[in-house]
Amino acid sequence: MSKIKILHMYADMLDLYGDSGNMEIIAYRCKMRGIECEIDKYSIDSPMPDFSAYDLIYIGGGADLEQQHISEDLVKCRNGIEAAYKNGTFLFLICGGYQLMGKHYRDADGVDIPGLALFDYYTIAEPNRRKRCIGNVVIRTEFTGKTVDIVGFENHGGQTHDVKTPLGEVLYGHGNRTKSRHEGYFEKNVIATYMHGPCLAKNPEISDYIIGYCINRNSDTVAQLTPLDDKLENDCRQVMIDRLLNK
Amino acid sequence: MNSILIIIGKIIVAVLRLFKRNAGNLPGIVLWHLTKGKCCKMFKVDCPIIAVTGTNGKTSVTNCIAQLFEQNGKKIIINKEGNNLDTGICSLLLRHCNISGKVDADYLIFETDESHVPVVYSQLKLETLVVLNFFRDQLDRNGEMETLIQKINGFCKTFEGNLVLNGDDPNTARLGRANEKNKNVKYFHAKPYAFATESIFEASEGRFCPFCGESLEYEYYQYSHIGKFSCKKCGFGNYEPYITAENIDLEKSVFTADGHKYSPQLNSIYNIYNMTAVAAAAKLYDIPENVTDNVISKYTINNGRMETFMLGDRKATLNLAKNPVGANMTLRVMNEMQTEKELLFVLNDNIADGLDVSWIWDINFSVFDRVTRVVTSGTRAHDIAVRIKCSGYPAENITVRPDLDEAVAELAKTEGRKFVIANYTAVQPTRSALKRYAEKHGGKNE
Repeated sequence: MSKIKILHMYADMLDLYGDSGNMEIIAYRCKMRGIECEIDKYSIDSPMPDFSAYDLIYIGGGADLEQQHISEDLVKCRNGIEAAYKNGTFLFLICGGYQLMGKHYRDADGVDIPGLALFDYYTIAEPNRRKRCIGNVVIRTEFTGKTVDIVGFENHGGQTHDVKTPLGEVLYGHGNRTKSRHEGYFEKNVIATYMHGPCLAKNPEISDYIIGYCINRNSDTVAQLTPLDDKLENDCRQVMIDRLLNK
Repeated sequence: MNSILIIIGKIIVAVLRLFKRNAGNLPGIVLWHLTKGKCCKMFKVDCPIIAVTGTNGKTSVTNCIAQLFEQNGKKIIINKEGNNLDTGICSLLLRHCNISGKVDADYLIFETDESHVPVVYSQLKLETLVVLNFFRDQLDRNGEMETLIQKINGFCKTFEGNLVLNGDDPNTARLGRANEKNKNVKYFHAKPYAFATESIFEASEGRFCPFCGESLEYEYYQYSHIGKFSCKKCGFGNYEPYITAENIDLEKSVFTADGHKYSPQLNSIYNIYNMTAVAAAAKLYDIPENVTDNVISKYTINNGRMETFMLGDRKATLNLAKNPVGANMTLRVMNEMQTEKELLFVLNDNIADGLDVSWIWDINFSVFDRVTRVVTSGTRAHDIAVRIKCSGYPAENITVRPDLDEAVAELAKTEGRKFVIANYTAVQPTRSALKRYAEKHGGKNE
């Protein structure tokens, strides 16, 4: 039986807009296929884990305050996370998790929070707290090899600059910055996005890309995932796409 | 001819009553056909008619205005059951008229569906029209709301009676310009409350002046597009309020209007606007202040908190859930019941719901015990279905019915105990749908 090992970081502090639901969805889609899915949690003051032992590291989003709080702890994990990433561990990062892997995050008060600088983008929070990017978002992606439009909900003050390989092109909503053309950050083993909702709820292709990657990363052969009945998910997404784009 | 129609109508009412059926709409439908669509024209009404229309709050405001007159010792007729189309009003008047069609009352007070205002009041002479608000909902595709406003605007062009308008809603305030000759236009207005904002909480929607196309400027937004707006170019929105709600304190549930302090039971900004409309009507009709105070301070609605409905012989319990805590509580009550049961979950994502529905992922559906079927409805019916499915509940036992009447019918088609969870803006439409089902199939709202 195949198995994937997941490290869910700061689950108790970074959980906005259903972000923890992403783990429930990954576990559900593994279970439906007979794939064993082990989820460990790491938070401030946990013993330092062996990051490279995990197939997937997941970090959700939080408010400025929480982000500042965990950033000091996260710095201690820097070497471990970097080694895991270079070793092929998948990084799935939402909102705050996304921002903190960049060079730095300047919060709404102008305070710089250092990031892990795994990637060379950086984020500056909009100083006017009322001016946030809030609402449903639709982006067009190609990373699965097919054109897939994905739908989520964004709510961020952070404006992320210098993203060289975005996750997708914005069809509706804001994306990385207010009214920007692109959303998120992508590498073959990194998906970083502002999409909550949770992000995976109506986008089964992302879940399966991540699961497929994790299953195959230590194997020479490429296993095909058993298809699941995604009618509800696909209908759910289509309702939103129709509502948002076909006005 | 009139008498014959009225006798036919009265016979239908009597027969329906004999079989204990609700005569709220059917007699009107029959007469509508017999009169080629003019089913309200045969009545002779000498007393003033007051109509209340708008997207939200019609029932509350209509009931309160009726109480103003009732407590002041007047005989009133009101469409309490919410039969607010021409056929419903016709059915109601059939029960209160004599053979010649004469209606005996001091005031008629009618909640009236937005689209039926011109229909009904081209046949019956209207004295006062209260317009609360116009909101888009999920049904508003391709500008249906604009069409609706145009219809009422068309009616207002020749209307010279009292026009009581929400002055903080550009969609309703614009009706005040429909007839330049009408000197009886009155705007009600509210000063900002604690949670009013400088910018609209809705990211992408621009609001433009219906007269010159310029962007409307807002001093503040109370909720949605309701707030102190004006057009800098043509001056739309610069009016003298007839009545102003101020010192709004939702924590203490108080506000003042015209220097008088009111303490309503329901402490939401929506209700403050409704009650300000009521205060405006009271002022218009010189209702004594103590009567107005009594009405506003006592009015409450049965608001879907563990409320029971009978769908035929099937018992359904409705509970409001604005957040995971509320929903989890209902799930606990369900689980404590040692029988099989079914759940209808109605999920909307309107502005008052906070637009985002991800909170449903914090509801713990994995505790489901002996839940044999789930029906989902609302503007985000699919989202709640996916959420319940991913908790491990079998997808084949989930039915998605975005239309509420269809969802209630789906829920009621099998035997057994029913539970209904609805979020904030879903709860009143859900109550209405449950009542409609009960009216059609027997049963009652307990």
